[in-house]
Amino acid sequence: MADTPGHPARRGSHRRWLTGATAAVAVLALAACGSAAGGGKGSTTSTSAGAVTMWLVTTGPSPANTAVQSLVTSFEKSHKGDHITVDFVENQSYKQKIQLAMGAGNPPTIFWTWGGGPLQQFIKAHDVYSLGNPSWLSAFLPSSMGAVTYHGQVYGIPVEGTQPVYFFYNKSIFAKYHLTFPATWSGLLSTVATLKSHGVVPISLANGDQWPGLMYLEYLTDRIGGPSVAQALQSNAPHGWSNPAVTKALEDIQQLVKAGAFQSGYDSLHFSGGGSDALVYSGKAAIQLMGDWDISSMLGEDKSFVTNGDLGMAPFPTVAGGSGNPADLAGNTASYVGISSHASAAQKKVALAFLKEALTSTTYAKAEVAAGEVPVTKGASPLFTGQPLASYDTTIYNSVQKAPSFQYSWDQAMTPQVANVMLTNLAQVFELSQTPQKFESVLNSQAASGS
Amino acid sequence: MTRRGARPLAARRGTRLADLAGVGPPMVLFCLFIIVPMIAAVVLSFVTWNGLGTPRWAGGANWAQFFRDPVARTSVLVTAKVVLLSYLVQTPVSMALGLFTAGRQRYRSVYAAIYVLPLLLSTAGIALMWESLLDPNFGALTALSKSWHLGFLQQNWLGNPDLTLYVIVAIIAWQFIPFHTLLYAVGRRQIPDVLYEAARLDGASPAQMFWRVTLPQLRYTIVTSGILMTVGALTYFDIIYIMTDGGPGYTTRVLSLDMYNVAFVQDQYGYASVLAVILSAIGIAVAVGLVRFTGFGAMASQQEGAV
Repeated sequence: MADTPGHPARRGSHRRWLTGATAAVAVLALAACGSAAGGGKGSTTSTSAGAVTMWLVTTGPSPANTAVQSLVTSFEKSHKGDHITVDFVENQSYKQKIQLAMGAGNPPTIFWTWGGGPLQQFIKAHDVYSLGNPSWLSAFLPSSMGAVTYHGQVYGIPVEGTQPVYFFYNKSIFAKYHLTFPATWSGLLSTVATLKSHGVVPISLANGDQWPGLMYLEYLTDRIGGPSVAQALQSNAPHGWSNPAVTKALEDIQQLVKAGAFQSGYDSLHFSGGGSDALVYSGKAAIQLMGDWDISSMLGEDKSFVTNGDLGMAPFPTVAGGSGNPADLAGNTASYVGISSHASAAQKKVALAFLKEALTSTTYAKAEVAAGEVPVTKGASPLFTGQPLASYDTTIYNSVQKAPSFQYSWDQAMTPQVANVMLTNLAQVFELSQTPQKFESVLNSQAASGS
Repeated sequence: MTRRGARPLAARRGTRLADLAGVGPPMVLFCLFIIVPMIAAVVLSFVTWNGLGTPRWAGGANWAQFFRDPVARTSVLVTAKVVLLSYLVQTPVSMALGLFTAGRQRYRSVYAAIYVLPLLLSTAGIALMWESLLDPNFGALTALSKSWHLGFLQQNWLGNPDLTLYVIVAIIAWQFIPFHTLLYAVGRRQIPDVLYEAARLDGASPAQMFWRVTLPQLRYTIVTSGILMTVGALTYFDIIYIMTDGGPGYTTRVLSLDMYNVAFVQDQYGYASVLAVILSAIGIAVAVGLVRFTGFGAMASQQEGAV
């Protein structure tokens, strides 16, 4: 799955402990010589004033990486004397690497970020250079900018494709039992009952990772209470979690669990093992709620399933009486790059000029499409023509373009202090070992202490 | 096993400088990589810090949080369970296997070689292997339960809150029993045959020989293996992290995993340091307690005249 788009915490989680151990040692070393490091704050390691360093996250060689390299080369040709060094960093270790570099006051000029809560921590610690709100940023779809906008200022530029979440389903199972994908929540419940009566697992869920369950909560609160509910939660509003829309969403989740919608062992299955996908393409299960990277994963695991057109894709259903717009999306709006405030004025100037030129270019958008991603630059539709997954890409691009609200994945949007507790407690809600009320009180107190 | 402790003190006085020179380098490394980070952790436990910017002084707030935090309470309890269960499971099995493989028969060395195999595997490999064997949809156990009609094998091994902790303890045992088996086998082989001959002449039954000769002679093996098991289980991390990440819910969230999550996932380095200090304190207390209680510190050969 070299080209599979995904989420930082969502791909191959098994190597995290190694990086954790490394980070632990590094933190202790930092703590031990904290006073020494403090003196160096504001300086960078680069020798020449205009030399720019750039960290990009990669999951393997991809056309997008090559494109960045060639864009750097052409930029250096047209801007004599400017130098940009690109380091591709392995995805699993990156979160801790950048946290340590920022903490030590020695980050690269241009750093990769997933936006949201972790980026806000950097912004609050005055580690990120504000881009203000320049007009050239209108080259990007507005829905992709929320994750890097803080108090009206923009702190990041989209660098990778968008990853909204949809229901994916096995079309042959649906055809066999004369089903169409339900457009309402009650329709989903009756579809679940029908599939169950035929001995098919209705929905595959990799909740050993905990974030797949979160996608249900994100969509349900939106469909029930609209996008304002999530916005209040992300700003750690007092008692925000006691919102009736959250309560209703948690109850709906437990209703789905009680209806036997998920396969046995849903609470220990990991997405990275491919098990939840395998259930769907092997026909054991019918449906999975997943980010759009699932198309590439499925393509890698069972090519003919995707190329034969058996993989269906549908938006999250509406909930009766809910105020959310059915066109609203949830997921990862994009990945981003920011500029470090520790960089010199000359470095910032070069970095900004390069990012503006490169990331708004058609060359880069084309490379992203070739890498199997859906770019967030405006007017990208024609680029999908002739691509193997063109129909999926076009649907995704159009739905992102039309979405009145595209809420960013909560585990990324919220501060890390809240996100981890939310994920674990939500997993307990899915196991029916935690009531919605208990979940809300735990999260309310965590939000109060974490802000 | 010479009786070093009995050497007269006067004989050592002359070598004091040489001792210092010899101890110096390891002491410097010990201070740099053990003592200094430990002190740093204690200092960090009194600040609020997310890894960025300047740490803020928090006084005793982090420590107060520990006593209010239900997750920490659960973690302490889960850790205690893992330690106790690991000890109770691993000791008898290791001893039995150790005594068995200590025999001189050739087929027993074949068994010994087989038993030692898990020791050669990497921990991450073991975790991933068991995770796929136990998969409730595609795992080998599920396949077995279907083809052999063994319904009880069809379990949600890693997702059932009532079951998962025991599964984890069993896998940890599977990994570490070979090591302790080796300890016991070696311990048994060091018991001189004359003791058994004497017992046999006195008309002792095999059971009596086990209780009166083998067990007392294995005393220090039991202590050594027990300390290694207890302290090892106390800080156990990798298999649990890979297989369940503390789940389902918090049912397998041991203290070391809680510390990791609070530090590196939640970015709360101050509170994580509290957990680190507490974990170290418990570890040191348990180790010292065991050494004192069992007389491990004053260990000397029990085989007067036999060495």
